Amino acid sequence: MAERIWNMKEQINFKNVIQTVFRDYLVLAAIALLVIITSIVEPKFLTTGNMTNIMRQFGPLIMVALGMTFVIIGGFIDLSVSGILSLVAVVTISLIEPLGQVGALIVGICLGTFCGYLNSVLILASGAMKQAEALFITYGMSTVYGALALIYSGGRTKQMSLVKANTSIYKTIGTGTVGILSVSFIMFLVCLLLLYIFQNKTYMGRTIYLTGGNKTAAELAGIHIRRSITLIYTISGLMTALGAIVLFSRVTAASPVIGKGYETNAILAVVVGGTTLIGGNGSVLRTVLGTTLVILLSNCLNLLGVSVYMQYMMKGAILVLAIWLDSRKQL
Amino acid sequence: MKNINIGKKLLNIATKQKAVLAIIVILVIMVFSKTNFYTAYNLFDMIKSVSILMILAFGVTLVLVAGGCDLSIGGIMVVSGIVTIKLMNANIPMWISILAALLVGAIVGAINGYLVVYQGTEPFIITLGMGMMLTGIAQQLTDAHPIPCNNPNFVKLANDKLFNIIPNLVIVMIAVFFIIHYILRYTSFGRNCYAIGGDYEVAKYSGINVLPTKAMTFVICGITAALGGVMLSSMLNSGSSTYGDTTALVVNCGVVVGGTSFAGGIGSAPQSAIGLLVFGVLQNSMNMLGIDAYVQQIIQGIVIVAIICLDCYGRKRKRETV
Amino acid sequence: MENTGQDIILSIKNVCKSFPGVKALDQVSLEVRRGTVHGIVGENGAGKSTLMKILSGVYQKDSGTIIFDGEDIKSTTPIQSMKRGLSIIYQELNLVNTMSVGENIFLGRFGEMGGMRGVHAKAKELLKSIGSNIDTYKLVSELSVSEKQMVEIAKALSFDSKLIIMDEPSSSLTADEMKELVKIIHHLKDQGISIIYISHKLDEIFEFCSMVTVMRDGHVIDTKPITEITRAEMIAKMVGRPIENEYPERPDCVGETLMEVRSINTKKLHNISFKLRKGEILGFVGLVGAGRTEIVRAIFGADKVKGHEILIDGKPVKIKNPRDAKKAGIALVPEDRKLQGLVLPFTVESNISMANLDKITRFGFLDSSAERGMAEKHVKALGIKTPSVKTKVRSLSGGNQQKCIVGRWMETNPRILILDEPTRGIDVGAKYEIYLLMKKIAESGGSIILISSELPEVLNMSNRVLTICDGRITGEFDPKTASADQIMEKALEFGRKDLEHERAN
Repeated sequence: MAERIWNMKEQINFKNVIQTVFRDYLVLAAIALLVIITSIVEPKFLTTGNMTNIMRQFGPLIMVALGMTFVIIGGFIDLSVSGILSLVAVVTISLIEPLGQVGALIVGICLGTFCGYLNSVLILASGAMKQAEALFITYGMSTVYGALALIYSGGRTKQMSLVKANTSIYKTIGTGTVGILSVSFIMFLVCLLLLYIFQNKTYMGRTIYLTGGNKTAAELAGIHIRRSITLIYTISGLMTALGAIVLFSRVTAASPVIGKGYETNAILAVVVGGTTLIGGNGSVLRTVLGTTLVILLSNCLNLLGVSVYMQYMMKGAILVLAIWLDSRKQL
Repeated sequence: MKNINIGKKLLNIATKQKAVLAIIVILVIMVFSKTNFYTAYNLFDMIKSVSILMILAFGVTLVLVAGGCDLSIGGIMVVSGIVTIKLMNANIPMWISILAALLVGAIVGAINGYLVVYQGTEPFIITLGMGMMLTGIAQQLTDAHPIPCNNPNFVKLANDKLFNIIPNLVIVMIAVFFIIHYILRYTSFGRNCYAIGGDYEVAKYSGINVLPTKAMTFVICGITAALGGVMLSSMLNSGSSTYGDTTALVVNCGVVVGGTSFAGGIGSAPQSAIGLLVFGVLQNSMNMLGIDAYVQQIIQGIVIVAIICLDCYGRKRKRETV
Repeated sequence: MENTGQDIILSIKNVCKSFPGVKALDQVSLEVRRGTVHGIVGENGAGKSTLMKILSGVYQKDSGTIIFDGEDIKSTTPIQSMKRGLSIIYQELNLVNTMSVGENIFLGRFGEMGGMRGVHAKAKELLKSIGSNIDTYKLVSELSVSEKQMVEIAKALSFDSKLIIMDEPSSSLTADEMKELVKIIHHLKDQGISIIYISHKLDEIFEFCSMVTVMRDGHVIDTKPITEITRAEMIAKMVGRPIENEYPERPDCVGETLMEVRSINTKKLHNISFKLRKGEILGFVGLVGAGRTEIVRAIFGADKVKGHEILIDGKPVKIKNPRDAKKAGIALVPEDRKLQGLVLPFTVESNISMANLDKITRFGFLDSSAERGMAEKHVKALGIKTPSVKTKVRSLSGGNQQKCIVGRWMETNPRILILDEPTRGIDVGAKYEIYLLMKKIAESGGSIILISSELPEVLNMSNRVLTICDGRITGEFDPKTASADQIMEKALEFGRKDLEHERAN
């Protein structure tokens, strides 16, 4: 009897419901609001051309942010994505000619994955179990990867050399469409589906959540937390490599500093989506929402003629705001 | 058996005095390098090149000692530098412009302090976001181009030399050093910072006003970062938004290299000076040896990773001793 | 009455304090006279530390009155009570490890003391007055435990304390250090300072206390002059309680040896070897910090320990980490439910399944209906009160949380179940259910190691009891024949000779 009453109480606790909605769907509301206001103020917003544009911009950031989601859920952080992105982009683009398109693609993906793996090796070897420690280690690695990109490219922007321009994989990724969807957007959907299943339906996905939720308890329950940590950084490296490929395919060139700013934007997308920095909760779906908001915001501000610098500032402000709200949630 | 002991001892020394060790190693290498490294001119030049980072580092030391962390200093630095020049170009006297820039730093520091201390947010990412925001403001103010300064006296502020050898910038740095050193060592505010960083609960139960004290460290850090920005603008005789990107992380790493811990409660201004000097000496000698700029960046990255890893490893060993 | 009022430094009347789920103090009354040493004894969890924390202002009382030095104290903070002249020396010492001795003594009063030089000069003087010559510039982290205690006492004196509370000061002191402490206590008493001395060690109470108060389960059982109470009476009052209905009948199905542990040696543990038989409940009795938890953590692979041997069914097994332990059929319900046991923001379901994910995994994929089934099975079997298995474990009561952890390990079909303080902070009904569960496990052939600070619990549930003191096994008893007093005495025994022997080496 008592149990049933408790049950009902939980169901009809109105304040609770509002709080949950407010917490969980604030991003959705913000997106809706943004879309409505912008389409009223600026009719260009809702054109097909702009929508394709948005889809293309979405590509690289969402890939990096999806990888970052795993790292943050695992209770860590990865600042090295900007370096990895630059390195993979310049290496892959320069290898298209000697190795062929597929060969370059494979090398690029392996390189990104390896860089991510290397991060985890350093973190595990030094016993850095705190987010702050991981932050500095991955920052240091980011400068290393970035410098490697600079050395490899001699500091010059590499142009994409299309061997057979009409059948190039990269051209398809960069500008191809299937129906109304761009190819990069379809790539994102496939990645999202796979990562969503991985995160929610698999053994390894669960161990990542548990590691982020409580490392000590997870280890005492016989969970291999070192393997989870290796995995999150490796996934982050892999997804960053994919992001690099999507990015340079779109712009058909890769500068050695092409990845600059991606680490903060990815963290921004993840946190704005509602994945908390403490670890143990969040989801790739939330990151999709967060990324959508970030990309839409840039797009709207562009259309409204707000300068790039002002946008940069606003992103910083949103990051501060999002973390502040995030910490209020935990109270 | 003996070898193991010696190895252990060396590892101990390496974890404790890693900054001094690193400097000595580099200095010894430079003796054999046949460059102009050991000239008074170069040595002062070297110190001048790290002076701005050191000014920032002293403020950061205060924050870290009290158990916080500030990654927005790069943003504060560029914004305040640009503010100074913009105001002077609007014919406002130099000293007032500088004071206004310092005020900007103090305000940003106060916001950081409020968010971190009173709202209990995680300092690392929130100050990172704050830095990002400030860099955006700086770019907006300058349109991402350096803006020249109209006041001919301003450039002298940092670049004039005392006795024709010691740059003013170095003197300012030394002054900040002594002020922060005095605060940390000889004032009750400073000692309370150590207590707060060392053990927050004990400090609280001992009747220390933990919240305002900790928040104040952010304000002071904001002011030193702003001062660094003013000096940077003066040194370059222009305001630029491009210098702040990696400053925060380099300075924080430098401070940790010197022996201040992220855990709080440990550290001092002299230690931080030595930590930053590692980067200065490294940079200068790599320049002297004619090492490629990109390779320098790799070496610097590896040094940062190595030092932070060593720091973590020391703590891990301590944790795991049963 | 007014006259005696002058004589009483501290008077506590009907103080109550509750924590969620537990009544920590119930109508506690106590009086302490000026210039005396007043002992308080009681088992772990009797409410002594809670009472002291209320006096010092760390906790606030729910009801009742406290009069200190003629002043009615309604609410207070630690610094206020120190300035009033009431200082407390905690069990877990309250010093900033990264700072010097001198500064710790005058923590937060750096300005008032005239800077660094003044601080160190005055600190030196204070330390000298209690016969200690610790270098005041030394860092606290470099001091031994007894030196830290001296610093705490100096700190208390620096406030002109009228009453100093010492919460188990002797728990980590050697015999010589203890002598020093006794000297200081007499010295303080001569200066007219009152002392409340909390201890488990009855020898000490009889040595220098003039009054003694026995506490149990949040109540004051009795307060008597030390001359009017015997040792046996005191122990009876500490442990004695009607226990008929609190425990199920002890299971009795001990078989042959299942596990043998040989010579665990670490900084804290010394030559720990014992055997565990099939179907046996083996109780570990000892003080908090005696090394009980460290022993089971070493067995479970949670701490990195080398050089010991573990044999199961006579065959040696290598356990390097908890995963190995799980494979070997060992389960651990850890001491700290919230920090080490549960992932609080997660559901009941995922907290139960977290040690059994391999069971519900097919080709790397989790079978969510199997997971749900697993969780529901244990929720039903253990009677976990929760709206659903999807409820966050954080919102459950302590007892139900504990059952989730037990359920998690039951699913692994452990041969050896280690329970570290399984009933801490749990209400009586839930305790009984956990006892029943232990009985069931033992009867179905499982073995249990039970660690508990509640002596009656161990005595009533175990088939065999090992006493642990200072990281050593000091005795072995059959709880059916041995008395509580005998066991307590062994558990409280000081390994003095061994310690001195070790120091000499």
